[in-house]
Amino acid sequence: MNAPSLLSLEIRRFLPNGTFRTLIVLYVVMFAGGFGMAHLIGGNFQMTVNGDTVRPLQDMFVHPKNWQLLAWIGSWANVLLLGFLGVFMITLEFQYKTLRQSVIFGMTRGEVAAAKVFFAVALAAAATGVYLALGILGGILTGSLSVPPCLSVIGFFLQALGYLAFGTLAGLFIRHTALAIIAYLAYVMFLETVARWTFTLMVTPTRVLMFLPDKVLEGLAPLPIPQSVSQAVQSATAALPASLTPLESIIAAAVYLLVFAALLHRHLQRADL
Amino acid sequence: MPVLTTHALTKHYGRVAALNGLDLSIEPGQVFGLLGPNGSGKTTFLGTVLEVLRPTSGSFTWFDGTAGPCVRRRIGALLETPNFYPYLDADQNLALVATIKGLSRFDADPLLELVQLKDRRRSPFKTYSLGMKQRLALASCLVGDPDVLILDEPTNGLDPEGMIEVRRILQKIAAQGKTILLASHILDEVEKICSHVAILKHGRCLASGAVGSILGGRPVVEAVTNEAGADKLHQLLAGLPFVLNLSRQGVRLTFELAEGHLPGEINRLAFEQGITLDHLTSKSRSLEAEFLEITRS
Repeated sequence: MNAPSLLSLEIRRFLPNGTFRTLIVLYVVMFAGGFGMAHLIGGNFQMTVNGDTVRPLQDMFVHPKNWQLLAWIGSWANVLLLGFLGVFMITLEFQYKTLRQSVIFGMTRGEVAAAKVFFAVALAAAATGVYLALGILGGILTGSLSVPPCLSVIGFFLQALGYLAFGTLAGLFIRHTALAIIAYLAYVMFLETVARWTFTLMVTPTRVLMFLPDKVLEGLAPLPIPQSVSQAVQSATAALPASLTPLESIIAAAVYLLVFAALLHRHLQRADL
Repeated sequence: MPVLTTHALTKHYGRVAALNGLDLSIEPGQVFGLLGPNGSGKTTFLGTVLEVLRPTSGSFTWFDGTAGPCVRRRIGALLETPNFYPYLDADQNLALVATIKGLSRFDADPLLELVQLKDRRRSPFKTYSLGMKQRLALASCLVGDPDVLILDEPTNGLDPEGMIEVRRILQKIAAQGKTILLASHILDEVEKICSHVAILKHGRCLASGAVGSILGGRPVVEAVTNEAGADKLHQLLAGLPFVLNLSRQGVRLTFELAEGHLPGEINRLAFEQGITLDHLTSKSRSLEAEFLEITRS
């Protein structure tokens, strides 16, 4: 089967699913809602310094930081909802035994893996479309429309794909939806962060830790630091290993995605379905 | 040329051998029954030859010695339970199967007609009764007009009416000359549908061949007499060297006759001893009796 057939097969399988549709709607609502809230609260936030009224977060909402802020808000939706979509994408198949049935009907195990990869790429592209649409809409509404930085768009796409892949792998190895979601959340929310900080504080602060998978994905859409506090943040984190540059994050994420795809393919080739 | 040949097919789950060096050969046009108690390796065998389970050792070949997706597209198979997307309807589920089988044009009407699901074609699979699910599974097996059908316990969980309906469909398909491989632990089902049978236990093949040859052992004779005559008849039969496996339940005695002997001899000998038989019949052993004898030995 060719790539369009495999992608069409996955779309016909999953888009009518209620859980899938709900997660997709929640993704858009969470992303748009988060962006709107950030504008309402952060954009209007003001304080008085030496008798002058200042808006310390103002620069976050103008080019180019507005695109970075939007990506950072979207990264929360990516972690939660795209990761869940990734889990569902595979555990539903195990639950309904449709993965094995596809092989029985004549798909190769390689085609099964490729279909999942194509579907994940399509979902990540759709998520990036939401990112661009919200950015453009925000730009029009605030009168500050600008072209998104290329690295931000690529980074957002890779991050969306990365969390989908993370979820898919959790689903593939655990096979049970609830357990896979718990394992996925535990890793991206706590385990890696705790391990990284424990190693940094107890052993040595090394930059190698910045290349751990979740840190790499996080680094694709970092929280932009307002001008007003950048110096304070720099001095506070001076002793810590430097964060990855956008280019380093993109390269590391691309490598991880290849590893994830290889793991998916290898596992599906060898496992009893 | 056999449709399916297996050579020393073995599958281990840890220390448990689900298949233990299984050699089988299935010829075109056969309705081949895999018979065995639960856990005998029937589903593992089917899963292995359908390539969803990896064999520990041994091999199998389909048709002209090949395996892989092209071969599987010539097979329609149902393993364990009907596996469909519960939120999709019959048309959508069958269309997915047709896409996987590489059919550019697909008309679900004849299949849904055959399995009598036309009226419910737009209902989600999850709303179907078990019988309807099994019938849709049969329809999916027939997508693309496959050469071979593989069915694992196709009447599992069905009520008597549903079982009869599924058997009727299978007999209709078998009449078209298709090869059917049917796994079941329901002896009656295998006896009614299959032309050939293999009896499995602990992953080994204990016996295989045409159903007629498996059932072709000594006939079972049943004799009934009155209360007074039953003791005498029992004594008489026990003394005859060509009477085997004699058993008695009240006035009813059942036994087998060695080759070359007929029930008429018993009638004559009983008459000579003054015993009047009320009833004397000879019938073939059921598959159940053969199955029990083979699996217990």
